[in-house]
Amino acid sequence: MQENSVLIVDDEPIVRESIRDWLKDAGYQVATAETGEEALEMVEKQDFSVMVLDLRLPGKTGITVLKEVKTQRPWIKSIIITAYPSAETTAEATKLGAIDYLIKPVAPDDLERLVRETLSAVGREPTVTTEVEIRPKPPVVEVVEVKKAFVITKDSLKSMVEGLAKEREVVGVKSRHGKYVYDRIASFEELCLDYDVTVMSPTKYLLPAKETLLRFKIGDEPEVEPVIEASPRAIIGVHPYDIKAIELLDEAFMTTNPDPNYIARRQNTIIIGADCLNPSPKSFAPSMGTYLTETGFDLLLTNIGADYMITVGSEKGADLLAKYAQVREPSGDEVAKQKAVRDEALAKYELSLNVPRERLPKLLEESYDDPYWESRSETCLSCGSCVMVCPTCFCFDVQDEVVLNLKDGERLRQWDGCVLVDFAKVATGENFRHDKASRFRHRIYRKGKYILERYGKVGCVGCGRCATACLAEIASPLEAFNAIAESVQAKEAAMRTIREVKPETELYAPRLAEVVKIDELTPNEKVFEFRFKDGKELGHRPGQFVEVSIMGTGESPISVSSSPTKDGTFQLAVRNVGNVTNALHALERGAMVGIRGPFGNGFPLEALDGRDVLLIAGGIGLFPLRSLVQYILDRRSSFGKVILLFGARSPAERLFLDELDLWSRSPEIEFQETVDKGDESWKGNVGVITTLIPKVDIDPGKTMAVVVGPPIMYRFVIGELKKKGLADENIILSLERRMKCGVGKCGHCQINGVYVCQEGPVFTLAQLRNLREAV
Amino acid sequence: MKPKVAFFDFTGCEGCQLDALNLEGEELLDLLNAVDIVNFREVKTEREDSYDIAFVEGSITRESEIPRLQKIRNQAKVVVALGACACIGGINCLKNHLPMEDALRIVYGEDAKYYDTIPARPADAVIPVDYHVRGCPPTTAELLKVIKALLLGKKPDIPSYPVCVECKMAGNVCVFERGMTCLGPVIRAGCGAICVTSGWHCWGCRGLVEDPNVDSEKDILQKYGLTVEQVVEKFKIFNTYAEVTK
Amino acid sequence: MKQVNVNVHQVTRVEGHGNIVLNAKDGKIEELRWEVTESPRLFEAMFRGRYYEDVPHIASRICGICCIAHTTASIQATEAAFGIQPSEQTLLLRRLLYDAEILESHILHILFLAAPDFLGVGSVFPLVETHKDVVVMALRLKKLAYNLAELIAGRKTHPISCIVGGFAKLPDLGELKAIRGRLENALVDLDTTVELFRTLSIPDFNRETEYIALKDPKEYTFISGEIASTDAGIAPLSNYLEVTNEFCVPHSTAKYTKNKRDSYMVGALARFNINHEQLLPRATRAAKELGLNAPCHNPFMITTAQIVESVHVVQDSLNIIDQILARGLAEEDNTVKVRAGRGIGAVEAPRGILFHDYTYDDNGVLTKANCIIPTNQNHNNIQKDMEGLVPLILSQPEDEIRHTLEMLVRAYDPCISCSAHLLKVTFK
Repeated sequence: MQENSVLIVDDEPIVRESIRDWLKDAGYQVATAETGEEALEMVEKQDFSVMVLDLRLPGKTGITVLKEVKTQRPWIKSIIITAYPSAETTAEATKLGAIDYLIKPVAPDDLERLVRETLSAVGREPTVTTEVEIRPKPPVVEVVEVKKAFVITKDSLKSMVEGLAKEREVVGVKSRHGKYVYDRIASFEELCLDYDVTVMSPTKYLLPAKETLLRFKIGDEPEVEPVIEASPRAIIGVHPYDIKAIELLDEAFMTTNPDPNYIARRQNTIIIGADCLNPSPKSFAPSMGTYLTETGFDLLLTNIGADYMITVGSEKGADLLAKYAQVREPSGDEVAKQKAVRDEALAKYELSLNVPRERLPKLLEESYDDPYWESRSETCLSCGSCVMVCPTCFCFDVQDEVVLNLKDGERLRQWDGCVLVDFAKVATGENFRHDKASRFRHRIYRKGKYILERYGKVGCVGCGRCATACLAEIASPLEAFNAIAESVQAKEAAMRTIREVKPETELYAPRLAEVVKIDELTPNEKVFEFRFKDGKELGHRPGQFVEVSIMGTGESPISVSSSPTKDGTFQLAVRNVGNVTNALHALERGAMVGIRGPFGNGFPLEALDGRDVLLIAGGIGLFPLRSLVQYILDRRSSFGKVILLFGARSPAERLFLDELDLWSRSPEIEFQETVDKGDESWKGNVGVITTLIPKVDIDPGKTMAVVVGPPIMYRFVIGELKKKGLADENIILSLERRMKCGVGKCGHCQINGVYVCQEGPVFTLAQLRNLREAV
Repeated sequence: MKPKVAFFDFTGCEGCQLDALNLEGEELLDLLNAVDIVNFREVKTEREDSYDIAFVEGSITRESEIPRLQKIRNQAKVVVALGACACIGGINCLKNHLPMEDALRIVYGEDAKYYDTIPARPADAVIPVDYHVRGCPPTTAELLKVIKALLLGKKPDIPSYPVCVECKMAGNVCVFERGMTCLGPVIRAGCGAICVTSGWHCWGCRGLVEDPNVDSEKDILQKYGLTVEQVVEKFKIFNTYAEVTK
Repeated sequence: MKQVNVNVHQVTRVEGHGNIVLNAKDGKIEELRWEVTESPRLFEAMFRGRYYEDVPHIASRICGICCIAHTTASIQATEAAFGIQPSEQTLLLRRLLYDAEILESHILHILFLAAPDFLGVGSVFPLVETHKDVVVMALRLKKLAYNLAELIAGRKTHPISCIVGGFAKLPDLGELKAIRGRLENALVDLDTTVELFRTLSIPDFNRETEYIALKDPKEYTFISGEIASTDAGIAPLSNYLEVTNEFCVPHSTAKYTKNKRDSYMVGALARFNINHEQLLPRATRAAKELGLNAPCHNPFMITTAQIVESVHVVQDSLNIIDQILARGLAEEDNTVKVRAGRGIGAVEAPRGILFHDYTYDDNGVLTKANCIIPTNQNHNNIQKDMEGLVPLILSQPEDEIRHTLEMLVRAYDPCISCSAHLLKVTFK
């Protein structure tokens, strides 16, 4: 690898040449390319340390170049430059491994510094991360300026609402059965703007309890179309804590993997907030920093007695005011009154946190084994009330429903919750959070730590709804936080507003792929070879997975079993355990299935580069590991000594017999296998896979081990590897969890604060030491 | 070859089967295109003794019903318990609290000797049951869901979580906050929380969830003003059989 | 030596389980029985010790078709025991709900259970090929009745919102308005049904018996009034035991009844015979077109009377909806003050007069219950009808005899599982 070598890819000569000159002066070896195609040709012939890449190129786009470079030479660090930043492209680039992001015009100092830092990082030993890096670098977006406030009379407000009702559906807070709910408003008089709290939060309008994602027709060639519907709507009376909750949902649904359904609703919704002047006795919003808000609304009302103050939060809001309302500038007294009523309201709160909320994440980190979780959850009914009423909860389940003609159907998503018993259960029946205490603890950790660390937004807005809804009276995060109080500092990300986002409508819609070959490995396991109908490559890394759809039956995550170095097709090895795999096994050549992905992080090819590799596969752990084995053999010169150990339960359960034979005879790879139990004809090793490890000769300083197999196997294999002297950061594992959406939204695959489909399924042992739920 | 479907009834009100007919014209046509209904005593005269999928409604309350049910199990590939009586014993089990001879004597006097009756029980107390369509009555949608799943070769997706989830999804104000009590927190969802939405509370006709925290629910009911006796009575209406076996 | 053996085990296309047994030799009847073999449900055990709130919901489960009838009778008996007078709004809603019940039950019987006999098929399923329009119409009418009941009580089978004292949730006026349109269309569908039945030939068999039904001077009633008999005049509800006189028979798990004669009939034909002058105009017209004139003694015309009643209840529901839309709906206070007492609720279930008689203690807990089921009251009449009919048809081929006897049983639209259950019981 050439140190200090930088490739600059930009179609604008000025940009290209000036960057080249700066970097040359700074002492770097520089090459330039005018187009993406040219860049790729150069990368094929020559190696670089860093690539400075413009996203907007004629011909192949920057993103495509990034993708292809990643497959070819994954160790090249990329710095993106562009004049048109958007949350979507930056998120995508970051997901593809871009180091950082600069906006044109680029300052020479910034660029030079960035290149220097990047290169110095490359020159060192691979960085050992014990924390899993969760949050992508935030995109640069404008922060909305300080708001203007006006005075609006009740009459004028009424005519504004009536005007709004002519152009869109108006929902607001009204009373029902002595409580308050959000529902359609038939007349202005129905609005109750002085309410304390509603039963359900207004987030139900952005992420409804049930919605259709796709419509499909089942058949030899299934037809699938995304369904994105959103009619214009205004929500009136949203309290600041709910506004903050919506800001969190914006972050979760509009940045990484932008969700088209959420975005359509969000962009069609006007939020008219209202200061909460009569807080519920269970609310602790001030403790969570959510009792006031300066962002997240189009308009915000404060009741100052005879009239309202109305604060403008966005251009949309300003337009509305201009169109439908008469307002005037406030007097000094009125401005003072607004502050006064807010202060009065603040004094009414009865509950508060006993520690600064910044300390919560650290506090929770240190309390994982506290007996509080077990004792407090004794009376939990796992009834789901807490998650259903919570404004910051957004996990969901996805299911297929068909009509009686068994041809037409819909793929629906509906609310789900981590406190429900089967949330973390997989098809084989294993439940990764099968007891009340672990589910209870997980929810509190989501609210106090994981959400904050992942999204930079507070995870509990202190509305008090769950405290009211919980019949066992155990749900309030405030009580949990206070109960295990301690002191720590935590970070809180800058507040920002997400604006123009173009969502990818196909986020949940699978692409059709044809079954071109089926091989039976064992009575219960088959290998399927697929080719996409549109001829495109899957473009995956070894260790990633895809979501396979059989329309009408469902969708299931399956690891990719073949290497990306094989052109044209990809292979999935499938064991028959559940609805979808059952349906897959019944398919014949020529059948079409739906594929989404690839998802997940894949094996760390950069880290493995140049090292000795010890691959250990237990049973069907060989399915994902085979992808890596093939890749290594196709790029053999990039690796040192390569050893593959494979253990099956019995000779009848050995997989990929032809390849096993090939590997055992190949000089490029040292292959050993064993079976737990032999039979009459078996002449090879007998014993569990750990028995093979002491026999292999490795240099622990140069070797990385990659282990994939059933959970029970990990503990013992890790033990043996540690005896061999391997450091935690050099032991790599692939974990299984229940996966559904694949894009870090539905919540099912969580291991503590980590989404397996995003930050996994591949982890180093060092990272797992901090993930308590992992092994 | 269309699968053959048969409906059988034991001791019950036959409301479940009748609800199965609550279809639109097109739906009935689609259903008849997908399956052959070979046995449905309430609606057709012809009967067949060979069928693939058997729906069994009603609970077992007489000796003579046991061999009849066993014969159905031997004949059918798939047996589905339809309705609360077949799934959990249902309301028929309320009579289990009376000693059987007393009950008969009270009703029929000296003629009691002509009638046999045994403590009422669900179908799976007698035979292994493959699937359940729960509720008193079950929704037509859930019955169709199970039929569709069987036709597609997949396990029907019936919720395992309690009614509270669906109640909140429907936007209901919790019954406990309105001066009533409710069994919802330990009862399996799938009904859409229809009783609460219609102004009342949950009686538990779909049966308990798999691992219900009954002690917690009992405590909560007492906290909201019921005596221990009243709490037990509340569960008894549909869930006597579960209580008895605890 | 002509042997006739008819042994129908579990008559099809009826609700519940019953057998027909006929053995005759040389024109002499040796055995002729209508056997009710339904499992005893022992509902009195289910009511025992229940709080009044739960009682109507348990009563509903007596029957899967006439759940609203049982619920209403149960509620009325409880209200009578506690001395509660339901409001005008509640009574309107109950009548409307009841219209839905009658419509649904009658349509089920007319088009799904009885019609196949007249069209020469074993069930409604083959009619999907030959008479698709009729089947679609039948499903449409049934669904309409279902939706109307859902609108008012939350659910048709085992209703939810109707409670002692009123309704737990009021229907939405907008939806009432919408369903009104469908009810208008139903009148057209019923015209089609009338046309269809005019073409069918109905067996001509007449046997006069006593007819019993509720009578209310204000209207053709299903849920109010007093007991009227064609033989014995009007009697108050409190006399129901003297009118019904239940007794056991060995071959039936259901009891039999009789009053002035050996047996009596309840149901659509009885109601028609007693109250025909109070039918709404469209229904009267339908009766004429179908050749149904009072008094009618042909049990095979019960189905015809049901068609007439279907027309009546649809027209009645339109009237009630208009009244409700005019006066609006208001939330009412449904609190119930319990007290010790006894009350009798009587309604006309689709199949005939139904009595629920409850006694409560001062905690509102039920101590004593008695129910007389309509089909109970018809079993004896069916037996007597068979005894009158068989001699007339004994010379026919065995298959035809069997078919005619089955049709006779089906004509009564029996609801057998309700009938095999309940008697008077006291709890210590």
